[in-house]
Amino acid sequence: MNLLPVLRVPGAPSTMWVRHLIPGLALAFFLPPAAFAQANAPTIRLFPTTVVEDLRQTSSVAKEMETGLQEVIGRLDQQQQLYNESKCDGAESDPGCQRLAKQLGATYLEMLGIMEERLPDMEHTVNNTRLSLEKRLRSEIGNKMTSWTLQETLLGGNKQGTKPPAPTMRGRSGMRLSERFRQYYQLVASSSSQNDQSLAVLASDIYLDMDETSELIARTREEIARATLIEQLNQSFGTITPEMMEVVGGVKSVLFGDETANVQVAGPPPGSIEQAYRSPLEN
Amino acid sequence: MNTSIKALASGSAWLVLLALTLSGCASSPPPCNGPRTNKLDDAVSMVQRALSDGCAADFDRYYNDLLTIAEGDPKAENKRVFSEFLVWSTDQGILSQRQAKEHYNRYFNVKFVTLAGDYNNCSHTCPRRDQVMQSMQRELSDKERGLMKISLDNSGYYRADELYQEVELVLEATCTACAASR
Repeated sequence: MNLLPVLRVPGAPSTMWVRHLIPGLALAFFLPPAAFAQANAPTIRLFPTTVVEDLRQTSSVAKEMETGLQEVIGRLDQQQQLYNESKCDGAESDPGCQRLAKQLGATYLEMLGIMEERLPDMEHTVNNTRLSLEKRLRSEIGNKMTSWTLQETLLGGNKQGTKPPAPTMRGRSGMRLSERFRQYYQLVASSSSQNDQSLAVLASDIYLDMDETSELIARTREEIARATLIEQLNQSFGTITPEMMEVVGGVKSVLFGDETANVQVAGPPPGSIEQAYRSPLEN
Repeated sequence: MNTSIKALASGSAWLVLLALTLSGCASSPPPCNGPRTNKLDDAVSMVQRALSDGCAADFDRYYNDLLTIAEGDPKAENKRVFSEFLVWSTDQGILSQRQAKEHYNRYFNVKFVTLAGDYNNCSHTCPRRDQVMQSMQRELSDKERGLMKISLDNSGYYRADELYQEVELVLEATCTACAASR
């Protein structure tokens, strides 16, 4: 599935930025301050108030963009349906079809316009969040911890094989958006039981997500002007390019869910409960 | 003259015979055969005898033999057998305390001995992250053998596997953050 073929750059599938951006940002929207209460534990401080604030701001910008796109996509959907029902495919020279195609193209341009307008804000807030997390990870895990203490932090009190309390998220799993939202919500809902071990994983996950997102936003911004120009040229001829159709389908898929990408993080099967023995040699 | 030559030749022959006998004794190593049984407890006894009889240099081979035998009869109790065997080896001076811990934890503990280190992650772990992950991968295979195939501790093994993935993720993020400051 291609979200924005006209925005594509080599080596960076165009769907990636939205796939990574919106779930990552939406996380912050759902995160109440209490979600990070554990982060204030003296041992490891990965989510101080500044990072929480950055996340919150990022999420609100992302939400605005998501809402804006959703409305435009709804219209694109209706216009496309009308175009198909009018049997305009193969009848491009028909004046009525040309009018419909122009309307569709205009809405498409509107979508690009929303992205162009929102992306600088988004880039700014994503970068802020990324930099805050980067600083925290470097200081708390990079400089204050050895590989051994990191391992002990990740294991927490669960050395004997029980699972950690919170679900492990993988920000780059390619999971469909609604599912990501649901899982993020669950993660936050159980955040009161979280401790350092899951926070370290969560912070890493969000940071890598933001890092990749940041890069993709920058590339996307570079391509938007070109895509807009191409579509403006298309408007002169009143044509609907296959790319446009693909874009509409791609954006819908990202916002409303992509069944094929519904990849769950594989969890281990339940293991044996009997683990009474503890050797004096254990660390 | 003849008599003295004969006497000399006879003396030399005795000396050669004595030297051969002595050298034969000195170069005859203990057999150091592997345990020939499928019962872990019996195998441990055989190995302990062999180790006490001069086969200590073959400790790693014996340890592997015991692991293979234990795989044939997996049960939770096996962890204890290996722990006690390693404690015995320490008591006998065959292994140091540290070596014994490494032999045990590598196979029967969720924690990775590979991650032992006294320096911080930015300066020590990140520059050799690939090697660390490769070593962890190898150790995870040993844990699969020790925890799952020998001790039937499936959840322990899965936790180790999960820990491996978490370390990979956190190190990727942390090392990216460390590199960004340079």
